[in-house]
Amino acid sequence: MSQEQQSGLLLLGVGGGGCRLAASVLASYGDGLRALGVDTDALSNRAASAGGMTCLLLGGSRLAGHGTGGDAIQGRLAAQDDMQNLLPHLQGVRTVVLTACLGAGTGGGATPEIVKALHDMGIATVCFVTRPFAFEGESRRKAAERVLPMIEENADSLVTVALDDLFSDAGEGVLTDAIRVAEGLVAAGITLLWRLLSRPGFIRLDAERLHTVVLKGGNARFGFSSAEGPGRAAQAVAALRACRLLRSGDALSKANALLLGILAGQDLRLAEVGEIMGKLRDVCKSDCHIEMGTVIDAQFDGRIELVALAFESWTAAAQVEPRKEAQLSQEPPVAEAFPIQPGSKRGRGKGSKLSFGATGRGKFRDVEPTLFGGQDLDVPTFIRRGITLER
Amino acid sequence: MAIPPIAALEIGTSRTVMCVGESDESGRVKITGVGTYPTTGVRKGQITDLSQARVGVESAAKQAEKQADVSIWQVLLATSGGHIQAAVNPGMVTIRSGDRVVSREDIEEVTENAQAVQIEADRQVLHTITQSFTVDDQPGIVKPEGMRCKVLTLNAMAVHGLKNRIDNAVNVVKSAQLDVTDVAFSGICAALAVLTPEQKRNGVVLVDLGGGTTNYIAYCNNVISAVGCIAVGGDHVTNDIALAFNIPLNRAEEIKRAEASAVIDPESGGRRVTLQADVGFEERLISCKALHTVVNARLDETFRVLRSKLDEAGVLPHLGGGVILTGGGAYLRKVTDLAQRVFGLPCRIGLPINVDGLDTVEQPAAFSTAAGLALYGRLTYADRGIFSPLKNLFKGVFHR
Repeated sequence: MSQEQQSGLLLLGVGGGGCRLAASVLASYGDGLRALGVDTDALSNRAASAGGMTCLLLGGSRLAGHGTGGDAIQGRLAAQDDMQNLLPHLQGVRTVVLTACLGAGTGGGATPEIVKALHDMGIATVCFVTRPFAFEGESRRKAAERVLPMIEENADSLVTVALDDLFSDAGEGVLTDAIRVAEGLVAAGITLLWRLLSRPGFIRLDAERLHTVVLKGGNARFGFSSAEGPGRAAQAVAALRACRLLRSGDALSKANALLLGILAGQDLRLAEVGEIMGKLRDVCKSDCHIEMGTVIDAQFDGRIELVALAFESWTAAAQVEPRKEAQLSQEPPVAEAFPIQPGSKRGRGKGSKLSFGATGRGKFRDVEPTLFGGQDLDVPTFIRRGITLER
Repeated sequence: MAIPPIAALEIGTSRTVMCVGESDESGRVKITGVGTYPTTGVRKGQITDLSQARVGVESAAKQAEKQADVSIWQVLLATSGGHIQAAVNPGMVTIRSGDRVVSREDIEEVTENAQAVQIEADRQVLHTITQSFTVDDQPGIVKPEGMRCKVLTLNAMAVHGLKNRIDNAVNVVKSAQLDVTDVAFSGICAALAVLTPEQKRNGVVLVDLGGGTTNYIAYCNNVISAVGCIAVGGDHVTNDIALAFNIPLNRAEEIKRAEASAVIDPESGGRRVTLQADVGFEERLISCKALHTVVNARLDETFRVLRSKLDEAGVLPHLGGGVILTGGGAYLRKVTDLAQRVFGLPCRIGLPINVDGLDTVEQPAAFSTAAGLALYGRLTYADRGIFSPLKNLFKGVFHR
């Protein structure tokens, strides 16, 4: 078993898009990464397993491997059907990095169910989800928006990437390539973050700080940039500021906390780090809490890559105490990036839950409630499952 | 021995049913009279208004008396509700004889031990069902007599419910000038009427989809292995529809019967159904897909709750005979398809085939409990006797 497999970190792709993302992270990261893809479509599963990823078919008895046809309810039911099959793959896993593309059936339907199940099992979740392109239509956009609060409720941290924001990065590519290119870029971003966690460099982005910022930061914006050649530090910051994922610098200037990873080769100079940080401080608010880390890897020689997570809703109360020297000298295991106590409530106090008191129970308002698994079964199921009805 | 006609009463959440059953020499029971009346004053299988519930009993009794041409003064009562629970109690005996051969006395002693179930003071045992014997370490023995062993164990399952709730139902019947000779759990009655010996051998779960409750009883290898009740039924489906579309409960019930489906019909896409205007109610159009979604969510959840209960009892892998649905809810469109998906087992509707005389009634599965109760009355007649009408000696009836 490789070190990564022992680390308790699992990359989980949900749905066709999520599996593609996970597969491309896996391809660029190397073999050691523990990755799992779950989908209702047997064909896309086959494609993903060709890339060396373990794949699991959801809802085989319900959908016969034909996919959900864009129906999120089917995706949700398929996930409920086969949640048991997921358990053997979660042995020893402490943190799941989940990727999914919202808007369609499996990504939209199964993701909230899986995140909830993981939360109940006490496994930390970091969700990278993409919102569909505007050209994919209003219904997909609405479907994605409906699902987001459900994921947010149980995920420890949620990074939403609007694919439209990637468009400038996709350049003038053919329209049909847009999704593929965009997903490739997101995957590249996740890979960079993953490297930052697993291969700490000279100045470490220490795992516990990252954990605190991510867990208490709530929703984040995610961006990355790359530059090479002379003046690469300034160029990388400029590119990061221009990154549409970070709303062309808007997210940076509004952020209360910023998590910055600098990935570079052996040739990274101290002055360059200073230049990057100086330029970023100019962009950010004066009281913005910046956590920085570097990764030194020979494959980045001659190049600087920046990866940033910007948190707008982060509050200073979430800051952690300075770490002790003894701990600093240790190599942090990757899974420690998001340590949690099993069964602990990791709510971020975000997102309001509708409360259904007597009114939600209708006819059964004045009788003894039927309780099962912490739920009041007298309240209509569609309300408790958050199903939106077509009017 | 000639057995007088048996009157079986079920005060269901949606309707009260009275069946009169007459038995012939072969032991088969024929229903000669059926009386039904819509129930009010009962929710989730439990009495909430004694006088309203009494009206239903009186009306159903009158109808059944007329049809069967008998005069009813004693009834058997079926009961249900979320308070019904089952507990397995092991009884044990050391074989004391020199040759260590199990004798008839040993079996009687172990049965007595097993049936001495300890339950809370406010609960009443409805049935004590003997399961299989364990001879030393060897489980699943049906007839241990003559076998050699040191220790003989027998598991007995006690089905019990809250005394007050059961008494409330009995009081309703008494207020209608009728005597209650025995009280039985609805799920067990339905199983008597519906299940075949072969199904019981193969392992089967009977799900009685009632108005206020969903009762279940699972047989594994001819032995009752799980019994219970979930206080969710057809009324919940109606309530969900009423809340989803903001319509009165009676209109929700109407549309449920006419258009509801347990599986979301892919062809229902843009179809809409009309709810006719009524006094104080404007005509409304309701999306068929939305209706199906509401119903699907509720039934899917109910089946999943049931599945988890069966899983907990460890019977899920032993149900080769599949899932049998009975009760009024079994007639909801595509409910068998949904159950098949959730349980991953073959599923069909179970009719009260062990009882005759229900060929002409509409939706016979809705009469499974009452018909099964008449059969229960026939099977336990000898135990009950004339002088001990409330004595409950329900031993080993379900073996073989």
